Amino acid sequence: MLTKRKLHALFWVALLILGLGVALTQGDEEIDPYKEAERQRELFRQTSGGILPGELYAAEGEELFTRKRGPKNASLEACDFGLGPGKLEGAYTRMPRYFADTRKVEDLESRVVSCMVRLQGFKPEEVGRDEVKALVAYVASKSSEMPLQVVPKHPNEITLYNLGKELWYRRAGSRDMNCSICHDTYAGGRVRLSPVRSPRQGLSNEWPAYRFEADKLYTLEDRIAFCYESVGVHPPDFYSEPMIALSVYMLTEATKGKHKFTELPGFTR
Amino acid sequence: MEIRRHLWWIAVLWAGFTLSQEGPFLQRLNEAIQDGGSAYARDLQQDADQALCSRYRDRLPPEAVEPFLQRQRSLIRYPAGGRLLGDWKQGEALFTNPRKGNCYACHTGDPKEKGAGRMGPGLVAYGQRGTSEAVVRFTYEKVYNAWAFQPCSLMYRAGVHGILSPEETAHIVAFLLDPASPVNANARR
Ligand code: HEC
Ligand code: HEC
Repeated sequence: MLTKRKLHALFWVALLILGLGVALTQGDEEIDPYKEAERQRELFRQTSGGILPGELYAAEGEELFTRKRGPKNASLEACDFGLGPGKLEGAYTRMPRYFADTRKVEDLESRVVSCMVRLQGFKPEEVGRDEVKALVAYVASKSSEMPLQVVPKHPNEITLYNLGKELWYRRAGSRDMNCSICHDTYAGGRVRLSPVRSPRQGLSNEWPAYRFEADKLYTLEDRIAFCYESVGVHPPDFYSEPMIALSVYMLTEATKGKHKFTELPGFTR
Repeated sequence: MEIRRHLWWIAVLWAGFTLSQEGPFLQRLNEAIQDGGSAYARDLQQDADQALCSRYRDRLPPEAVEPFLQRQRSLIRYPAGGRLLGDWKQGEALFTNPRKGNCYACHTGDPKEKGAGRMGPGLVAYGQRGTSEAVVRFTYEKVYNAWAFQPCSLMYRAGVHGILSPEETAHIVAFLLDPASPVNANARR
């Protein structure tokens, strides 16, 4: 078994080699973004003893999940992600969903926060974003490559789906954008080199993912925030209703398109 | 008499019902937007035509198109002195700059620029159209306000939002039309 320290050392070596790889491949050729992502992934695999960065986050998340922490000195093993306390296998495939204990529709990210508050006794403002991301990576890894199953049924889930749809089409800001004009009308096109997909084509099925261009783990909320920022709109707060509503909308549509999650955590641009 | 009275009540109830369908949902939507934080709520405010595009999912009904185009046309401003063709070198910088035109996100321009987007039509050799009054005016107005020609286009209204001033818009027009600009000079014919 590799220790965490060793993993991190390997990770930095991999990063160095990756940087070199990027520098060397800036030729005249137009790069195919999918092939490029695959190539980068292989580079990481080969140079880090078969470990991808996303797996490091998940390992960190597992440690946070099982350790007793917080004012109540409890682990998160009793956290219910919808299938019962501690049942993680496939739980993410049905999220966001309605939770009776909080009487809210929660995505995986906000569910992690409410468990840290309710089970461990943290105050919401004490919950660090990096911890949440690591925990999300761990829980999501238990739904790797499984079919999406987000089907709004509870009235609150249906409400959030409808709100998400309305936000999806809402044109605003100085760039006059909405999600749909890029991700529906021009799906298949490219912004610069980045290919754009629609929800029915599977948009949103690879998160949380390590983005090698940013060298960071992105959750779905991070990715939504990134698109908002890139069109000049200040993103909604993390764990807020617009984040959850847009996630419900996209994942429901991706479910209708009969998509699976990619390997989770994903590895992408 | 009786029947009329009944019909009246039915009409009132029906109107109330349809209003209550619209009302609570919009109210709920605003609550959700507020929940996203004040900066998000501020940025998500819409002008009337952004709201119209959203409502019709970016495909306006035919009768709404002409008034929409007219309203958008009336928003176009021109440079003092009326020169719509500026300096292509300044135009190139504005075309490229992600905080200004950001045109490469969606269009090819200088064929030597790598990794240009393909959401919009290619603009390589755009200058082949010549520099007649009509071409210059169309190009200027399109770049200043894309929605004056195509309602709810993906292409944003750079001039209307002040991302490009009238003078800056004229520089971009020159970048597209001047035979010496790389858009045209670097194009193989
Ligand atoms: C101007 C075009 C544009 C707009 C507007 C836009 N996006 Fe994106 N989006 C992109 C591009 C380009 C990518 C990167 C695709 C890639 O590299 O895989 C992307 C990626 C994404 C991804 C991750 C990619 C995937 O396949 O899972 C999600 C999720 C997403 N966008 C959601 C949204 C949402 C929600 C909105 C509206 C709030 C939005 N986008 C608005 C262009 C846009
Ligand atoms: C987010 C995508 C996007 C961006 C950014 C964008 N455009 Fe466009 N542009 C389009 C699309 C899509 C069309 C075609 C639909 C239409 O006419 O609105 C278009 C059309 C045009 C046309 C008309 C082409 C013709 O053959 O009639 C011109 C000229 C043009 N764009 C120039 C520009 C310039 C200059 C910029 C930067 C200031 C720019 N565009 C930025 C998407 C974009």
